[in-house]
Amino acid sequence: MNFSIMFDKEKCKGCTNCMKRCPTQAIRLIDGKASINNFKCIHCGECIKVCPYGAYTPESIEWYEEMHFSSYKYKIAILSTPLYGQFPKGTDICKVQNAVLRLGFDYAYDASWAAEMVSMGIKKKIDEEKNIRPFISTNCPAAVRLIKKRYPSLMDNLILLKEPMVIAATLARARAKEKFNYKDEEIGVFYISPCPAKLLAVTDPVGDFVPCVDWVIPLNTIYGEIYREIIKGEDKLCLYPSLKGLKWAVSSGQSESAELTNYIAVNGMENIIQILDEIENGNLNNVDFVETLACVQGCVGGTFNVINPFIAQSNINYILNNTENVGLNEEMEKFEEMYESGLFRFSLKQDENSGKFNMKEAIIKEEKIKEIYDALPRLDCGSCGAPTCYAHAEDVYNHESTLYDCVVLRANKKE
Amino acid sequence: MNERFLKRYSFHITANDFMNAGKGSSSIKNLLKSMEIDAIIIRKIAIVSYEAEINIVIHSFGGELHCDLYDDKIVIVSEDVGPGIEDVDLALTEGYSTAPESIRELGFGAGMGLPNIIKYSDDFNIATGNDGTVIKITFLM
Repeated sequence: MNFSIMFDKEKCKGCTNCMKRCPTQAIRLIDGKASINNFKCIHCGECIKVCPYGAYTPESIEWYEEMHFSSYKYKIAILSTPLYGQFPKGTDICKVQNAVLRLGFDYAYDASWAAEMVSMGIKKKIDEEKNIRPFISTNCPAAVRLIKKRYPSLMDNLILLKEPMVIAATLARARAKEKFNYKDEEIGVFYISPCPAKLLAVTDPVGDFVPCVDWVIPLNTIYGEIYREIIKGEDKLCLYPSLKGLKWAVSSGQSESAELTNYIAVNGMENIIQILDEIENGNLNNVDFVETLACVQGCVGGTFNVINPFIAQSNINYILNNTENVGLNEEMEKFEEMYESGLFRFSLKQDENSGKFNMKEAIIKEEKIKEIYDALPRLDCGSCGAPTCYAHAEDVYNHESTLYDCVVLRANKKE
Repeated sequence: MNERFLKRYSFHITANDFMNAGKGSSSIKNLLKSMEIDAIIIRKIAIVSYEAEINIVIHSFGGELHCDLYDDKIVIVSEDVGPGIEDVDLALTEGYSTAPESIRELGFGAGMGLPNIIKYSDDFNIATGNDGTVIKITFLM
């Protein structure tokens, strides 16, 4: 389990849609079929969204088998904040939770509580560390990886607080150990995920911590089962979500939940790129917090969700406006203690150095790529299999492609 | 120490063109990124070259932004034609600005341009007269 996007070569028509939309230019067409460079991929799911032929699908884990035939004695489901927005307006929260439990889980932990705690952490860090501005959120794994690949100078601005998924998994696991004396290997933690990036966050976290999640279940692969159980619906008591934390499902929810006033909430990859450019230029040093979410409207727009993001947002708002704030979570009271113990914070894993920099060689390389680029038509048509003429020039320089893969140059040559 | 000059990249900056203000420094930033220059240095150069570019747009009749590459340093040179800076010491003071109200309304001209440039650079040199200003800002690798 280390790659969350499956690709069906048979379905790919070589249309270039995914290649052109990929924010890290990780896709090339090879022999007329898309091919993802795993090293460059940030698992944002943009390709799944734009492919007209359904060639990309989430990696579907056999969660049922994993759950019942492995050694887990205690099985925990972590409910992501956008989950409640995926069912018809007015669907009882308790019904959703109980439906998940009836699929065979022993306990359902609502990530909204973890989200509220992380919000408190955000507020604390912004108040205490005034030398870094703006702080950039570390909830969305795709946005964090975009920064790592394309804006490494902004890594210092990351707020470095673990995402609610990880906090929820850590707390739920600790609870199972404490209450029922289970051993670590007897506990299975399953995160029901709105997006492929969460899987990457589990298998390859950017920080020096153990994510505590064993399996990531794409929501769409388990949606039918949950829905059928909801319809059967018996009403039982449940752990109400934190209404504050539930806001995390939607863009600007983190900031609102942390009660910030001076923030920017940006969603969608292209918008994020514009704001990151502004931060790099030093234009946003007077802003406390920048909330970056790769999907349109935030996590409700995640690729593994089933419902349109705007409708899901409306469903979440309905819950926020029509649920009494009766929820209580005993862990909330221990927030200060847990924060001081370092449960929320993390440090970045250090990448090994890429060797000594040589200006002369860098200039020669730049000039050679420029020379190739100048020979290309600058139409960015994508027919060569690279997303732009400049990317094609880089590929030619790296011997991954040839100049005459360009259809325009080939046509001119014939004349 | 090897201070061999290797190459100059130049970008034309148009006065009063706020739609395109920032494109020159953005080009420099992307160039340095594609050359895989250290991220911390790029960050400083991005901030400084943006400030220098905005200065040309606001205060001059137009000019050039150059990025000079040496073996062991990068020098950003801002060269403009214009009225020059009347009182350099005052211009280097945080918060001092001669930008008119119409420009401040656009969110520019906070009086942090030159002070920021000094803050992020390793060396700073300014020559100004009534026909224009040349600023040289050095970053050691």
